[in-house]
Amino acid sequence: MKKVLSIFTLSLLFLIGAVIMTGCSDDSSSTDDSEGDSEESSTEPVTLTFYSEDGVEKTFDDPVAKKITEATGVTLELDYPVGGNDETIPLMIASGDYPDMIYAKGDIGKLIEAGGVIKLDDLIEEKGDNLKALYGDQLDRLRNSIDDPSIYTVGTYGVENAYWATSGTFQVQLDVLRELGYPEIKTLEDFENAITEYKEKYPEIDGQKTLGLSLLGSDWRWLITVGNPAGFAAGIPDDGQWAINDETGEATYKFLKPELKEYFKWLNGMNDKGLLDPESFTHTYDTYIAKLSSGRVLSIADQDWDIADADKALVADGKEWKTYAPLPVTLGPEYKSQGLKDYGFAGGWGIAISSTSEHQERAFEFLDWMASEEAQILVNWGVEGENYDIVDGKRVLQEDDKERKLTDPDYAKETGVGFYVYPFPQWGNGAVDSNGQSITPDTEQDIIASFNKAEKEVLAEYEMENWTNWFPPTEELGISNHGAAANYAIPPGSDLQIIQQKADDLVEQRITQAILGDPAEFDDAWDSMIQELEDMNIEKANEEMTKLTQNKMELWGTN
Amino acid sequence: MGKSVREVRGQPNAPLITERPIDNGELKKPPKLPKKGFWKQVKNQKALILMSLPFVIWLIIFKYIPVGGWVMAFQNYKPQNGLFDQEWVALKHFKDLFNEPMFYRALENTLGMGILGLVFGTISAIIFALLLNELRLLHFKKFTQTVSYLPHFVSWVIGANIVITMLSQDGVINNLLMGIGIINEPIGFMANPDMFWGIVTVADVWKETGWNAIIYLAAMAGVDPQLYEAAKVDGASRIRQMWHITLPSIRPVIIVLLILSIGNLINIGFEKQMLLGNNIVAEKALVIDLYALDYGIGMFRYSFGTAIGIFKSVISIILIIICNQFAKRIGEGRVF
Repeated sequence: MKKVLSIFTLSLLFLIGAVIMTGCSDDSSSTDDSEGDSEESSTEPVTLTFYSEDGVEKTFDDPVAKKITEATGVTLELDYPVGGNDETIPLMIASGDYPDMIYAKGDIGKLIEAGGVIKLDDLIEEKGDNLKALYGDQLDRLRNSIDDPSIYTVGTYGVENAYWATSGTFQVQLDVLRELGYPEIKTLEDFENAITEYKEKYPEIDGQKTLGLSLLGSDWRWLITVGNPAGFAAGIPDDGQWAINDETGEATYKFLKPELKEYFKWLNGMNDKGLLDPESFTHTYDTYIAKLSSGRVLSIADQDWDIADADKALVADGKEWKTYAPLPVTLGPEYKSQGLKDYGFAGGWGIAISSTSEHQERAFEFLDWMASEEAQILVNWGVEGENYDIVDGKRVLQEDDKERKLTDPDYAKETGVGFYVYPFPQWGNGAVDSNGQSITPDTEQDIIASFNKAEKEVLAEYEMENWTNWFPPTEELGISNHGAAANYAIPPGSDLQIIQQKADDLVEQRITQAILGDPAEFDDAWDSMIQELEDMNIEKANEEMTKLTQNKMELWGTN
Repeated sequence: MGKSVREVRGQPNAPLITERPIDNGELKKPPKLPKKGFWKQVKNQKALILMSLPFVIWLIIFKYIPVGGWVMAFQNYKPQNGLFDQEWVALKHFKDLFNEPMFYRALENTLGMGILGLVFGTISAIIFALLLNELRLLHFKKFTQTVSYLPHFVSWVIGANIVITMLSQDGVINNLLMGIGIINEPIGFMANPDMFWGIVTVADVWKETGWNAIIYLAAMAGVDPQLYEAAKVDGASRIRQMWHITLPSIRPVIIVLLILSIGNLINIGFEKQMLLGNNIVAEKALVIDLYALDYGIGMFRYSFGTAIGIFKSVISIILIIICNQFAKRIGEGRVF
């Protein structure tokens, strides 16, 4: 009995302690006001909770965060989804317990329907000077829908974008290019030949089996490394699972297209020839990154942000030649790689302010401040004198920051530099400040300067400045009239949502099975998948998506 | 008059014969006595009732009141409105559910893996407990027991990663099999849908055997040692003693545990399947809870999710009643 009592007392003590501690931390957070601030926005210390669907575990106490608090009085309490689940927003709605600010990505539609977020139109009109200046005539793209043309969110993507880097295309190890005497690789056939040749030459790397092409198809990244590259190879711009005619707004579920079948048939062949990593669809993300970091994977089809850790690890290990070069690979010469496609300011996703927040005005002022020049320089460059210096009137990153930015996966998290750019309102990498200098440290010159020595050597061999020289230029591809369908808020509980979910689940399984199956049976497997898609009424989803796209174009005035 | 009767009853030595006729007489005017008896009983058991009260309240709050939420299954529930300020749709969600081929696949997988887990989980735990029970070296016994139930405390996230790594193409299992020459090519364990149920079952057995064995061990500890002594005198070997004494003695425990777990057959959770599964085996890994999560809550379809929940509860109750009837028939310990 005595023991039980003491445990009870202990837990009570613990509880009281926890309460006191949280109470204290609330009080003590940032008491020093910045001096030179004008009266228009209050800088009383306040703690705002912020949930980001793409958030990671982090406290708001790095140097950049401290500067933000100094300027605005705002301390953020960052919340993030646990285990990458997508039930957080629905659960939030069910409980009615919202953080002050929410970045819900595609789930924003649910929040709007549930009345969990407020309209920002009036606030923008009244006090959103920075946001108005930022979005200008693109403000319409923030609007929700034809039926409800209010603005609920701000932020996420840069408004003025330049395309100096590609992502998500096929990538090949630099060493492969060097060993094979810098061949031209434009089609899947070239790509396959290069890998085959190199693999025959080096069946083992550092004592482990060489892997020709490795994908990550065991979780949601199936869409990133298997589904999306298929569309890219067929020259279809990235609209998630959709192929959209930019003129008419007509949408088709991507995997119904015959071009995609060609691509998967090629993957099936790769698997049959032993060029595809047999664990592509079973290994976990950690294993995948470990494989890439070991340098024995010759090629990938992935986004840069997905493999950033592996890239940094390779450079840190001195294995620059095992890092990857993006390739403008398509099914054949008649297809154009869309690597440099400009989707325009996509709108759609962004940060919303919750209806239950006690600090709605402050939250809005904070978001507006984030769109200011001062804030943009701070979040992109860090603290003057600590992360960058002004040399000849120009901002220059300090040497150790430059170095760490390329090699240290925790750089952004520890210093805060670059950490608060996405998903907040951002100017974009093509924007310049009032002095005509780039607002981000990632100008084309900076990107080129940041290439590792192997990349520089390969580029020199190909007589190129930047990898983008390989790709059809942005101007040639045109600006998308409908943005990117992946950013559309699909009405919750609609047929479109349910059918798409079912279709996604189905193609992930069926295509995976078809790729790993016998090539002789590929056609049958594909046909039966198409049949199953038709059985679940995919036509209806196509129609609804077309309507959604056309509405969006009407809302934006781009039809 | 009533008072005198109770006094008579209270006497331990009161003759039974005189009691009976008085009792029969009382039955003709029943209202007072049973009521008073009830309050008297309450008074007598005051301490016990007080002790159980918190749990009854807990049960009502957490197990009975939430059942009211079942009305959601008959609405198009939107959380921003109140529970009764909703659009009523009768059996729409149940019709959707029963028209959905995916649901039947999920049901099949759930029952399949549930039954496999139940059969192999129970058998392995009993065998393990029997073996441990026979150990005479106390320290070794305790050590083995501790080691064996440790995996129970490992979360499935870690457990699944261990399993996936061990079964990968260059994992321990494949290396071992190739090393001793049983196979020439590594087996893609995680890439074969037909193996998935088996892998889940084996992983489950690995994780839970030690833990499940504890309750059987406790039951075995209660077996009268005289029985063993008598058996030894009769010349029974250790195997014979296990078969004829230990197992029959713990039979009621086994049956009760079986009934309880059969009731939970459909509630096998989804962690294992979600964490071990991948796109190749997805068809075999889809279980009802995962389906409810992805197509219910995850898509904002609370009503649909609730319909699935109701269906599960109904199946559970049916299963329990059937098993309990069965146990009653064979005359063994039953749950109610």
